[in-house]
Amino acid sequence: MENKKQLEQITNCALCGNMCKDSCPVYLATGNETVTPQKKARLILYEEKTFLKDEKGFFDVMFQCAMCGACKLNCLYDNFDLRDFIQEGRNKAFKNGMLPEETRKRVETFVNFGNPNGERELIQKGKGEIGYFVSCSTYNDKPLLKSVEKILTKSKEQVQEFGGADICCAAPLYYAGDMDGFKKAAEKMKREIEQRKLQKVITNCPACIKMMTEIYDEVGIHLDVEFIHTVGFLDALLKEGKIKVNKANATATFHDPCILAKDIGITTTPRDIIKMLGFDIKEPVYSGKDTHCCGGVPGGKIGDSKLVASVNAMRTSELKETVADVYIAACPTCKVALSNIDIKDVAEVVAEQIING
Amino acid sequence: MSKRGEVPSKFIEKVKGAVGEENISQSECALISYSLDYWLYGVFLSQYGKLPSLPSVVISPKNSQEIQSILKYANEYKVHITPFGAGSGVLGGAIPIEGDAVLNLQRMNKFISLDETSLVAEFEGGIIGANLERELNHRGYSMGSIPQSFHCSTLGGWISTRAVGQFSTKYGKIEDMVLGMEVVLPDGNLLNIKPVPRRSTGPSLKELFLGGEGTLGIVTKAVVSVHPLPERTIKQSFAFPSIEVALDVVRKILRGDAKPAVVRIFDEPETARYFGQIKNKVTIIFISEGETDFVELEGRLIKRIAEENGGETTGEKLVDIWLEKRFDIGLGPIIMQQGGIVDTIEVVSLFKDAANLYNDMASAMRAVEGAISVSGHYSHFYREGACLYITFAGFPKDTSRYYKDTWTAAMEATLKNNGSISHHHGIGFWRKDFMQQELGSHGVELLQKIKFALDPNGILNKGKLIDGK
Repeated sequence: MENKKQLEQITNCALCGNMCKDSCPVYLATGNETVTPQKKARLILYEEKTFLKDEKGFFDVMFQCAMCGACKLNCLYDNFDLRDFIQEGRNKAFKNGMLPEETRKRVETFVNFGNPNGERELIQKGKGEIGYFVSCSTYNDKPLLKSVEKILTKSKEQVQEFGGADICCAAPLYYAGDMDGFKKAAEKMKREIEQRKLQKVITNCPACIKMMTEIYDEVGIHLDVEFIHTVGFLDALLKEGKIKVNKANATATFHDPCILAKDIGITTTPRDIIKMLGFDIKEPVYSGKDTHCCGGVPGGKIGDSKLVASVNAMRTSELKETVADVYIAACPTCKVALSNIDIKDVAEVVAEQIING
Repeated sequence: MSKRGEVPSKFIEKVKGAVGEENISQSECALISYSLDYWLYGVFLSQYGKLPSLPSVVISPKNSQEIQSILKYANEYKVHITPFGAGSGVLGGAIPIEGDAVLNLQRMNKFISLDETSLVAEFEGGIIGANLERELNHRGYSMGSIPQSFHCSTLGGWISTRAVGQFSTKYGKIEDMVLGMEVVLPDGNLLNIKPVPRRSTGPSLKELFLGGEGTLGIVTKAVVSVHPLPERTIKQSFAFPSIEVALDVVRKILRGDAKPAVVRIFDEPETARYFGQIKNKVTIIFISEGETDFVELEGRLIKRIAEENGGETTGEKLVDIWLEKRFDIGLGPIIMQQGGIVDTIEVVSLFKDAANLYNDMASAMRAVEGAISVSGHYSHFYREGACLYITFAGFPKDTSRYYKDTWTAAMEATLKNNGSISHHHGIGFWRKDFMQQELGSHGVELLQKIKFALDPNGILNKGKLIDGK
């Protein structure tokens, strides 16, 4: 640990009564005490003090976290984020070559192709100072990509669409603890944006926004660009009358993506859009800032594929309980993870109901 | 790290067959995670890597049937089983003190059903209180059980320790809330106590498990009473010159048939800690909630009796401050990191002894060498008496000695003033030595016989509450 303050912080957490455990999706999905925030803190403290013998076991626990920040939002202490310490654990795991298998494979793909998907074509369409960045999950989701393109066309906005090939925010490397690789890839991403002379970048992926703002800043890479999540862009188009939509007469449940709700703080905008589309919203028990992670992709934020499946099953069940006509997300990774409830991205629902520009 | 015990490999193999290999763990990280609950002296030591006792194995069943199999194997191989709810108990009740197998009950954490006609809801025992309450609130109801451990304790744990929430004066204590339950008995048989408001079918069986601390059975499901969310809330607070006057005011209010959800009397040190602007006074906060007509009537009655007895109105803000701070245990870890120790002790007495109990207990605890702070509040009121809850902190030279001496001073003062040694935290292993004075030799013997009759092999939670004879 770098300093005394960090040691004090992790010890406070290790000696706490686990007062945030009720908010942790990884715990709730498994009932496993070892993955609760306070127990992770105890293990981090013990690793720091060299009390632990099973290094691999410790590193595995560091990857049994959704990195969603629920514990931070429900913490007794100000300015404490357990994720910073878990990230350090992941960084050490990477250095020691002790990544979980799924995470290792994801890093390997990234190293070979500059993205977590593998071989990809370059996407470069349109012109202008506003960019639409095709995130990795969006690249694989042709219906979503078509929907965004339809909206852009109807809105008559000048937008430069880019992505694919090896253009990636590098989130997979960050979550895997490969910080050197992450910094290099982040520098490359910065060049990709700067060479396109963009003032604003719109993207569907909350993780891309978190990386290119908060995490790039943390590693000393600053992008002088405004990042906008698609919901902000769509909300403005609807409110300014740049697009018009038919009204649905149905119920909808919105799944708050954890990064969008907890880290970026956007919870009302997607609901405003869904209401403008004419839906009656049916909230799940856990929504808004209290949302639960969808589980993500194996080897992503959570390194263990069985745990991904457990977290995913819990969130799926929570959403299904609302028995809504339509399920809507605002994150392409959530959409993939929750595909067995036929969830749509908010952009797809807008595109389906769009009348004209 | 403390040495772990051993369990026969055949037991482990059989349990793997019952729960699946992935639900049984002997990894170092798992054993460390289930080695300790929130017994604060243990927590203090844990920062130095000194855990009281590592379990030998952690087993995480998903339902009652799996627990039945596990307990049958435990009897066959004479393996001690320590049930682990969520590890929030403060008396060491979930510590596997002999390196036992830990039975983790947290996979059983589901909401099952709500019966809006009968005002009851069913949950699995491993659900955390805050998650239980969220399920109910979403549907327009509340159980009204909000202990300080709300975010980290389970329904099964509340039942097993006879727990109490902060809103208990209106909604009752856990024994008032539980109508029925499912319990796996130590021999692996399943007992279903069906949910009805009351029955006359011999001694109440559910009482065996309300406070059984996992020694007499494993509570796997429970049906609890629920209330519609309140339509009106009134918050009031008053300042008084002494504990004696404040106790008398609450006594008169309850005698007037009022049932405020929250009633708390804070002594001078706690008044100063919570509400810095009020000096040298004792304060009472009240929260009345429910149907508007009742709440407004109750609010007027509280105000009248408080003011007639010299209460100075201190407004709604004090209640809001308490509501804001009520789960904040953040100072404890900070003190413990600096070498200090903190803990709380809750006891109960009749009104006639209540003030003396406070004075004797606080002064006895302050007299222990190393004490730096002893403060208290009364909460969880009855028409007949109240729970006294003391918080203490010390920076002694010998932490172990100070901790034990302070507890002994508190327990002796309680017994001297006709009080009971625990109101709602239970006994665990730490308070066990005082059970003889609490219950008398025949009382202890009766509990021992019950334990032996139900659990002749002493499988469940050995060394806690009572050992069988």
